[in-house]
Parts: sequence; C-alpha cells; structure tokens
Amino acid sequence: MKPGLQTLSGFSIFLALALAAVAARQAESGRKVPSPAADSKTQVTFNREIAPIIFRNCSQCHHPGEAGPFSLLTYADVKSHGRQIAFVTQKRIMPPWLPETGETNFTDELRLSDEQIATIQRWVDQGEIEGNPADLPPKPAYAAGWQLGKPDVIVRAEKPYLLPASGSDSYWNFVFRNPVHNSRWLKAIEIRPGDKRLVHHANVLVDREESGRRLEKEPGAGFGGMELIIESEAFDPDSHFLFWKPGSPPYVEPDGMALRLDKANDLILNTHLQPSGKPELIQPTLGLYFTDKPATMHPILLQLENDRMLDIPAGDKKFLVSDDFELPVEASVLAIYPHAHYLGKDLVAFATFPDGTKKTLIHISNWDLNWQAVYRYAKPVDLPAGAKISMRFTYDNSAENIRNPNQPPKRVVAGNRAVDEMAHLWLQILPGESPDATSDPLLQIQEALALHHIQNDPEDFEAHYNLGALLQMKGDGAGAVTQFTQAVRIRPDDPIANNALGAVLLASGHADEAIPRLNQALQGRPGYFDAHYNLGNALAAQGDFAGALLHFRAAVRLNPQDAGAEANLGSALAETGNIKEARLHFERALQIDPKNELARENLEQLNRNSQGRPN
Amino acid sequence: MNPIKAAAGKVVVLVFVRTDCPVSNRYASTIQKLSAAHEGKALFWLVYPSKSESAEAIRTHGREYGYKIPSLRDPQKALVKESQAQITPEAAVFDGKGHLVYHGRIDNLYEAIGRARTVATTHELEDAIEAALSGKSVPASSTHAVGCYISDLE
Repeated sequence: MKPGLQTLSGFSIFLALALAAVAARQAESGRKVPSPAADSKTQVTFNREIAPIIFRNCSQCHHPGEAGPFSLLTYADVKSHGRQIAFVTQKRIMPPWLPETGETNFTDELRLSDEQIATIQRWVDQGEIEGNPADLPPKPAYAAGWQLGKPDVIVRAEKPYLLPASGSDSYWNFVFRNPVHNSRWLKAIEIRPGDKRLVHHANVLVDREESGRRLEKEPGAGFGGMELIIESEAFDPDSHFLFWKPGSPPYVEPDGMALRLDKANDLILNTHLQPSGKPELIQPTLGLYFTDKPATMHPILLQLENDRMLDIPAGDKKFLVSDDFELPVEASVLAIYPHAHYLGKDLVAFATFPDGTKKTLIHISNWDLNWQAVYRYAKPVDLPAGAKISMRFTYDNSAENIRNPNQPPKRVVAGNRAVDEMAHLWLQILPGESPDATSDPLLQIQEALALHHIQNDPEDFEAHYNLGALLQMKGDGAGAVTQFTQAVRIRPDDPIANNALGAVLLASGHADEAIPRLNQALQGRPGYFDAHYNLGNALAAQGDFAGALLHFRAAVRLNPQDAGAEANLGSALAETGNIKEARLHFERALQIDPKNELARENLEQLNRNSQGRPN
Repeated sequence: MNPIKAAAGKVVVLVFVRTDCPVSNRYASTIQKLSAAHEGKALFWLVYPSKSESAEAIRTHGREYGYKIPSLRDPQKALVKESQAQITPEAAVFDGKGHLVYHGRIDNLYEAIGRARTVATTHELEDAIEAALSGKSVPASSTHAVGCYISDLE
C-alpha cells in the first residue's frame, strides 16, 4: 500500500500590501449644495447658507466621538471656529480631498465649490450672523455605536498599544486571531479604531498564512511598521480594499463581491496614529458583517510600482518614478489607491488606449500622506485589452519640502519606514472576458503582472514566487520549478519558497531534490504544517516510511482537522506494519472528510486483508 | 492678577492655549518641557482666553495633558491684548522689566494647519527666552503662530 500523493498544500502567493482608507461616503456630495447667489452685499447667515454647507461637508467628522478635534453642529460651535474655517476652506486644507477635478469622478467627493468657500468667507467678514431660526436645516443625526447595526462577529485587539504623548506619527499593526470558526463571506468590516482623533487611517488585511503573528514579539501585542507584506493564498483574496478613514461609514461590498474568510485566517489592522499631546491607549475593535451570497465576481488588486528606481539624491526636488503595465485582457477599474510617503509630491496615474488616447485615472498635485485614501470611481473605468496603465510619481527630497523627515535631506531609497519612500499604485480591477476563452482572465493578468515585475526587477522575489505559483496552477511544472528556484536563489532561507519548490519538485517526480528544500523550509519555520506534510510525502515516495511517519505525525499534531494528513499518516503506519493505529487514522480522516478517497480505499483494503487472513 | 506685573524682575512666558485646539494640545509636552528647562528663571503661565471654558474644564484639561504649569483664564482678553496674541498656541515673552520682547510661535513644527514637519527645526520661543534671560536682544520680536484664532472665541 502506498501513501497517496494527496493535493500538495503550500501554494501561496505574496502580495505586498499597503492599503489605506476609502473615500468618505456621505449621503450627498458637497458639490451639489445649492447656494443662493450671494453677492458681496447680500447678508449671509448661519442658518440659511452656512449650516447646509457645514452639515454636509464637515459635521460627519466634526461631531462627538468622531475624528474631528471639535464639533461643528451648532451656531456656537461654528462661530467659535469661524475664522479658522474660513482659512482652512480657502486653502482647501479642509475638507480633506486630494484628487484634482478631472475626467473621472469618484464617489463621495469631498470638495467645496469656489462659491461655497466665498460664502463662508463672506459670513465671517460680515460678523458671523446667526439669522432666522426658521431657515436652519435639521441637524444631521449620527448613529451611535456600530454604523451598520450589530455586527455578526465583534473582535477586539488582544492588547492595547500605548501611543506616546508626543513625537512623530506611529504606525502599528494589530493581529486579530481567527475571528471566524468556519468559512464565511464577508461583505463589510467596520473598523472602530478606538479614539478616532488619534487614528488617521486604518486598513485591514486578510492574513491567510499567520504571517502577522510571526512578527509579534509577544503574542497579541501587535507589531510596528508602516507597510505590511503578508503572504496570502493564491488569487482570490486581498482583492478588496478594506479601509477606514475618519468620517466614513464602512463600505459594504455589493452582492457577488464578498470576501472569503476562513477559520484559519487572521485579520491584521494596520493603523497610522498621531500623538495628541497626552499618552493614549489604542485598542481597536472590528465588527464583521457576513452575507450568504458568495463571491461571483473576483476583482483583483493590481499593483504598479518601481521601488528599484527609488533612489532619491539628497536635495533633488523633482525625482520621477514611473511604471507602465499593459493589460492583457479588458478590465474595469473600480478603485484606485496611490501611495507614497513624505517626499511624494505629484502623483499621477493614467491609461493609454490602443488608439493612443489618454485618460487620467487620478491626479494628486499636492500629495499628503496624512489624507491618503482609496478612491472609488463613481462609474467603473472600462479599459480594453492592450490598454496601458501608467504611473508617474514625483518626489521632493529638498529641505523646502517641510514634510521631509530628514533635515538636512539625505539620500532616500525604498523601504517600509516613514523615513524611507514608496512608489506604489494599487488598482482594484474586475477582469472582463478573455479573448482566448480557454484561459482565466484573472490568471492572465496575474501572469502578465508577475512577468512585468520581473522585467522591472529580476531580483523581485514575490514576482518569481507568484509566477511559479501561476505556472504550477496551469500545469507547467518545469516552468514553476524555474521560477521557484529563482525565488529560492534570491532568498535561500525563505521557508515558503523552499516549501513551494519542494512541493513542485515532488509533484514532478523529483522527490530526491524535493527533500533538501523541504528540510530547509522546516529549518526556517519549525511547525510548518505544509512542509511537514510535503516532506512526509517526499520521504514516502522514496520508500522511507519511518521518516514519513514522523512528519505526518507532526502534520496531524499541527492541524488535527486535516483529513489528508490523517489519511497519509494512516498509510505510513500501514506501511510500517502498524495496522491497528493505521485504521484509527483512516477512520479519523473519514470523520473529518467522509469523501476522503485515500482513507476510504485504504480502509477497505485493510478490511479485505483482515478478512483474508486470521488476526 | 496680572502675572507680568506680579513677577517683578523675572522673565515671564505666557502660552495661550485652548482646550479644543488640536494644535495647542499637540504642543503640550513641548510647552511643559520648555517650562521645566527654565524652572526658577522664567515663570510660565498657561493662558486660556475663552470665556466659555470653565475653571473646572481647564483643570481637567491640564490633568489630561500633564501640565504642571499654573493656568489663568483671560475671558476679557486683557493678556491677549498685552501680548498681541492672535492664535492658540502662541507664546509671549516679557523681560524682567515687564516689556513684551517676543510673541509668536513656539517653534516651526507647523508650517500651516495640516502641514507639519516631522520635527521642528527652529525654536523661536526657546531662543527668545534665552535672549531675555541673558539680557540680549531677541532674534525676532514676533513670528506668525499656526493654530486656532483667538478672535473666534467669545
């Protein structure tokens, strides 16, 4: 009896994610506020002209419990900040909205018209008159507590993070361990970061490989860092921006766009925190909302970047980083998220159609990390196959850039800290039909993207890894071996790459070459279920059932709910003559998964054997 | 009481703050540290120019933000006028003779509302205090402060 080579686990994909907040979703855009044509002689009153502007554009953040440092709900509130409001609106510091007005509109644009700004100015100049109470529109009402009602599951960070009273901004990541007990379709996450005045933005990542936990110095404590690189299983997840920024209710995914969350998954909350002047304990809570409707549409997050080009000399005022990616299939762009740190100045993304026409996807001419956001298009931007998506990011590393974290300026390269830089453009796209009906458009884009990243940077570990995983899915074992070999060359100790290379070598009949890779994976990460499982299979393929037994036992210990590991353990036991225990494990495998064929066949075989000869 | 007249012969520093001004709140530890560094030489006062901030609200605010500096209410804006202050946070330095020698920002952390440096690179208040203590003339007698307008207050 041979242990069956069950599905080899361990096909993971790396996605370097640095997500942010999504655009505010107010009921109405500030641009639609009617404003009586008030020339300089008309008297402006709070009740008639100012309250509607404030209620629609400011109060969503400026009310108790929200992020705004003071409330703007009454005449007295607004009057006590009147000149301030006139100043910050005129400078377009408030309401915070970075993109220029362009060819594409975003949902919930938070931008005052020139006329509205002039009206506020005039009100202040005229002495901030309250006006006729009958003109005052109803004060906006805000739900206390959960904005979407009671969540299906509420999880709280295990340990709080202590934000110092002063100093520069902090970036902290909280790990929420296994928030669900069986697979669910997630339609929304409400992020309650704690005191909203301190949290500039936050975003959630689904961590399917426990990679966040491994970065914690003590369990539950979280870990620092501005960006996250997490491993995630291939291709369906992380296709969503899960985001929070002040004043925005949680985004509810439309039907068919839910995100799968499995029981083995963790959630990681990445937060940008700003000191308030006093020490603060931050202990965020997440509310999860589920739907019965599984995902039928699978958007992906496409990343343009060129970190290798990021080597900005001290003093350079206009350093350009660019990247261009040609779409192999048609696709709709649903949302966009440009990201740079403190040196970023002018961020542009545009699409070039096959006929040469260009369309601006986003333009931010005065980048401010503090107000970064995910921008969702009011109407998806449809791009044909062959369209090119381009990013052009300009950086200012001079002393005149007041946000420059290095004074005097220093050479800056790509990195994860606030003093490093980043040139990333994320797009959430929904692939259309593939011209070649036999291939999955999603995989075509992923493959084109991986090849693109390798072309930009032959030392791009994630790209080699992803391409390997894609080729393996397509059944191109030799191609997968090549790519995983490159990944292992770049990071010889990386447990996941070693495991993947081992797995694909094993699957293509090279158990002898697989074994050292799998041992390496276990050395890099003791307790790595996939590597134990694969190594068990590799040793069994070599006829070393005693060796295989050890690794299957380890696999079963690590994941007692895995039918494949139980069935393989049973097989190895049977091979080493321990029929009695083998039977127990086959039964256990069938208990977990009644459809497990290996266990069923082997058990039947055992039963036939025991009938054939006396005990 | 007038803290400037009461402090005969000593350098006096008034720092105008407001309980709900995020910029002045973010300066709390800087203000406290500056005061501690000049203890015994310069007398620091926090001045709350709002009519509507009660003594109780001010005490709570001081506790929360770790202020050990004595505080004053200035609802009639007498000290505001004497200091020519317009913003919270804004500092005013009076020399031993009670003359206003500096008013303006604490440092250059903020270039404007919403535009902050990671760390301040010039320290105007500290420079002014040092100059006043050593009897030298203050490098700049006034600078523009960034924060919330005092004139917005009742």
